[in-house]
Amino acid sequence: MAELQTIRFRLNGRPVELAVQPYETLVEALRRGFQMYSVRESCGQGLCGCCTVNVDGRAVSGCLYLAVLVDGCDVQTVEGLGTLNQLSPVQEAFVECEGFQCGFCTPGMIMMATQLLQENPDPTDEEIKHYMSGNLCRCAAYPEIIAAVHRAAEKLRAQTAAGNTPATAIMAQR
Amino acid sequence: MNPFQLLQPETLEEALSLLNTDDPSVRPVAGGTALMLMMKSKVFTPHTLVSLQRLKPSLSGIRLDDAGDLHLGPLASLRDVERSPVVAEFTPVITQAMQTLSNVRVRNVATVGGHLAHGDPHMDLPPILMALDARVRISGQAGEREVALPEFLTGYYTTVLNPSELITDVVVPALPNGLSGTYLKYTALSADDWPMCGVAAFVRMQGGVVAEARVAVSAATERPVRLTGVESFLRGRRPAAEAFEEAAELAAAGVHPLADIRGSSGYKREIVKVCVRRALEQALAARTRNGGVAHE
Repeated sequence: MAELQTIRFRLNGRPVELAVQPYETLVEALRRGFQMYSVRESCGQGLCGCCTVNVDGRAVSGCLYLAVLVDGCDVQTVEGLGTLNQLSPVQEAFVECEGFQCGFCTPGMIMMATQLLQENPDPTDEEIKHYMSGNLCRCAAYPEIIAAVHRAAEKLRAQTAAGNTPATAIMAQR
Repeated sequence: MNPFQLLQPETLEEALSLLNTDDPSVRPVAGGTALMLMMKSKVFTPHTLVSLQRLKPSLSGIRLDDAGDLHLGPLASLRDVERSPVVAEFTPVITQAMQTLSNVRVRNVATVGGHLAHGDPHMDLPPILMALDARVRISGQAGEREVALPEFLTGYYTTVLNPSELITDVVVPALPNGLSGTYLKYTALSADDWPMCGVAAFVRMQGGVVAEARVAVSAATERPVRLTGVESFLRGRRPAAEAFEEAAELAAAGVHPLADIRGSSGYKREIVKVCVRRALEQALAARTRNGGVAHE
């Protein structure tokens, strides 16, 4: 029978450890062990993007990723981007453009948009649609989401023009 | 998911020895995107999984060798392939096919080796690799062997791999000068669904006639197939609309589509015909823009 395994990793910059079952998914472990309720299982098949988590700088579907495999990794959730009082530029842009209705898909949208803008600081509508095609919004706030990504891109460009590196610009400015 | 234990070997030798067992429930897992779905739906209920993740540093390289052959490391992610300048230079057909495969998160995790070993006929790389005469290098306790893709993929979700073997390399021979191509996929449901039909087509022209044609069909059939009859029909012909039309008829007559939620066998046969004709036209047109992918 399977045994619990203790994994150690960095969660939003902070070293943590957790005993996990080998068959526990990353979304289950993050919610159970760390109350990371922004990470949500919706479709459970990697199609909807609600469970998007960054592992060593790459967005993955937390529902298709075994928690034991993040041992030694750097894991980031939307909680690591900003706080209620100090939002990240992408979060600010989603609020300003009303890039959501119910908000269930929003953490995943913000994680994915953040990664998109790190790879491509000035995406076109088509590039945004293509990159985010694996993130579903059942309220269909897509036009506002696309506007929010453009707004976020402007904010990030302003940040980098002001001397911030792209890596620090995506975080909430404290 | 059913409880299972996960072993994480550090070396290929260690992984092969863990897999060398009579217990059929011991299976390797790479990115796991496909296996996780099978485990969640209880189609697959392993007792022990052997994770290949720690082998990634040694088995994920993408490079050209001295002969100009392309090597894709089995643990390279599909995203690594998509973003590799080496692959884009070798043929943009592979690069562009990756861009329309599932979504970024899946491509970040799914691997080349898993993509092939899964044996799912709906995968996008196999028809392209098959048309490019790729070979799969396999290691097991008994030693190494190299198998061409048509022999590697033996049927619906089945491959020539023994349970205790692993893919260690995928080799695509250097392309002849002037070979241009395309990968065309048709999705019957949403745009990011598995394809209902995939066609890889490459042509090389000489003196106004087709010197070489390569056509492989996937997804509609139980496994990807090279249409050698179509290829020899086209050889030496002028690339006129009638020739491509006739080639497409031959292609449709030569495949045995499986009926499923994406369409009946007869409907898929019709789609194969249309896709082969369009893929040939696009492969020819791609001569001026060095390859491409179309998504219908």
